[in-house]
Amino acid sequence: MENSLSETKTHKLDFQGSGSAFFGIIIVNWLLTIITLGVYYPWAKAKQLQFLYGESSLDGDRFTFHGTGKEMFRGFVKAIILFIVLAIIMFFFVFLKMPLLGLIFFYVGIIAILPLAIHGSYRYRMSRTSWRGIRFGYRGDRNEFIKKFFSWIGLTIITFGIYGPWMVINMRKYLLENVRFGDAEFEYEGDGGDYFLLNLKGYFLSIFTLGIYMFWWQKDIFQYYVNNLSLHKEDKKITLTSTVTGGGFFKLAFINLFIIIFTLGLGYAWVVARTMKFIFSNIIIEGNIDLDSIQQTEENFKDATGDDISDILNMDFVM
Amino acid sequence: MTHKTNGLFYDGQSSASQKIELFFDTDKKVLFFENRNGERQNWILIDTIVNINGQILNFQHGDNPVQSINIEEKDFVSYLILFRKNSGHINWYQKLIGMGFKAHVVLATLILGIVGLSYIYAIPWVAEKSVVLIPKEYDDDLGSMFFKQNMIFNNIDIHKTNALNQFAKELKLNNTKKLKFTVVNSSVVNAFALPDGNIVVFSGILDSMNSYDELVGLLGHEVAHVNNRHSMKMLCRNLSGYIFVSAILGDVNGIMAVVGDNVNTLQSLSFSREFERQSDLEGFEILSTNKINPYGMLNLFKRLQEEEQDISMPEFLSSHPVTIERIKFIKKLIQTRPFYFTDNPKLKTLFKEIKQ
Repeated sequence: MENSLSETKTHKLDFQGSGSAFFGIIIVNWLLTIITLGVYYPWAKAKQLQFLYGESSLDGDRFTFHGTGKEMFRGFVKAIILFIVLAIIMFFFVFLKMPLLGLIFFYVGIIAILPLAIHGSYRYRMSRTSWRGIRFGYRGDRNEFIKKFFSWIGLTIITFGIYGPWMVINMRKYLLENVRFGDAEFEYEGDGGDYFLLNLKGYFLSIFTLGIYMFWWQKDIFQYYVNNLSLHKEDKKITLTSTVTGGGFFKLAFINLFIIIFTLGLGYAWVVARTMKFIFSNIIIEGNIDLDSIQQTEENFKDATGDDISDILNMDFVM
Repeated sequence: MTHKTNGLFYDGQSSASQKIELFFDTDKKVLFFENRNGERQNWILIDTIVNINGQILNFQHGDNPVQSINIEEKDFVSYLILFRKNSGHINWYQKLIGMGFKAHVVLATLILGIVGLSYIYAIPWVAEKSVVLIPKEYDDDLGSMFFKQNMIFNNIDIHKTNALNQFAKELKLNNTKKLKFTVVNSSVVNAFALPDGNIVVFSGILDSMNSYDELVGLLGHEVAHVNNRHSMKMLCRNLSGYIFVSAILGDVNGIMAVVGDNVNTLQSLSFSREFERQSDLEGFEILSTNKINPYGMLNLFKRLQEEEQDISMPEFLSSHPVTIERIKFIKKLIQTRPFYFTDNPKLKTLFKEIKQ
């Protein structure tokens, strides 16, 4: 028993969902959202996430998304009230014949909400995700993250965007390193400089190759995100390695495009299923953490407001 | 009756699985088993979340921690699925999902069809009718905003503008709001009406006219656009289509962009065919109430259409496309409607002044 604990094992990440099953979910969601004039949206979102998480598996055991439509609806109402308040304040300024001030206030307000939304989104999504009954969790400190977020934004503005790659990596690092899976912790080893060079190379080669290199650029980015991520528990660890190729990305994008065009967009479900499968089957997970020994440590967090604000602002979930 | 099966239990404390013997009491509708420590657990079936993922049946129980059991035994899985169905545990949502792929395809086609039809027919109609709800002052604000923004850079001909305003004063234009005419020096063959009653005529189109009845025809047409709030109706139409699509696609932030876009393109806002037809009809009526030769309108349109063959397409045509259909329509009006016209020396003199 002692021996097997420190043995290196390979774990299999997989996506089992079929396009047709996902299609059913999307169509029913669509129908209900239209019939209810949009009120059903939070429930639809929950159903979709439950499906996507539920069809993702590690070593044959599926992940579970515990979030419910009710939680998301509450979050949505709060998020909308927040935006209405912002809009009312803006119109108040307009009423006082200071429209510019109102507009500035509105945009500053939205930017100020961003870190709160990211923080809330992470806390909610992580806490509502589990595997073998063990919850994920996000332990980032809100105020610390807000401070960091604004210093990154400030530096990016001052340097006319050059700091952008550092901002991306620093943010990832902060967010991911605060993610727990039970009593195991994630670590992210990315560096802004490397990421900057990677993007610089990708940008110029894409121009020289008339865009063809874009798929290899995407491969590099994906690799940089995945390979630098690892899970730690005590002195043991599990590493992630990407096996995607530029050609693989090219084929994926090409076929996805065809599916979307020839099905007039209805093939979206198959595109998602194919993409998930592609990504999951291209990540090798191996290490000596015994995945049977993870202990429950993370608390429940059911407030979806941050997640819903992110949704309204059209921010992709940073993961 | 009690059914027995084997399963894997996750206690929500650790990720380690526990092999258990699970019993299902069909009378009490309760699942029970003994965990590793020999404690008996009872889960009431309706308090348990049931997921079927492929071949595996998954029960989830409790909130904090969530405990779960996975079962792979086929007989038990199919028995439980049937049992839940017969006991009415399947809710309407699961029924909808369980309808199968073919039904979903039919549903999707149906929704797409309805969405498409309402986008093409219902939505623009509703939007157009709802224009009555928008206060008329808003037309004025929108029009004058555009006018202020665009006229600073244009070369306004004060003399011709005065003459054109006098010309219009001589006419009965059935207008509901005050009209203001402006002549801009430009080779562009165009004229447009803003929702606030500002009508801008480029000298290019005046140069192409031969007689005052053509000018009356043009003014009559433009005034009809103003009288019928066509700009506002088109704006509502364009916007409603966009709002509808973004509501379906769940995209909100584009709507404001469309409002902004449309204000900037008021000038080239392409009216729909029926709006052009309505304006032609009312323009014709204006000609006839003012006792002006309706051939003026026909001649103007014909000439504009001929010019279309030239290299420079008159802009008037792109925003008010003169189709063969429209020319036919006016011809028909001339043939079927009684009209009477006399020479109007005053208009003739003013027209000469404008043409100079």
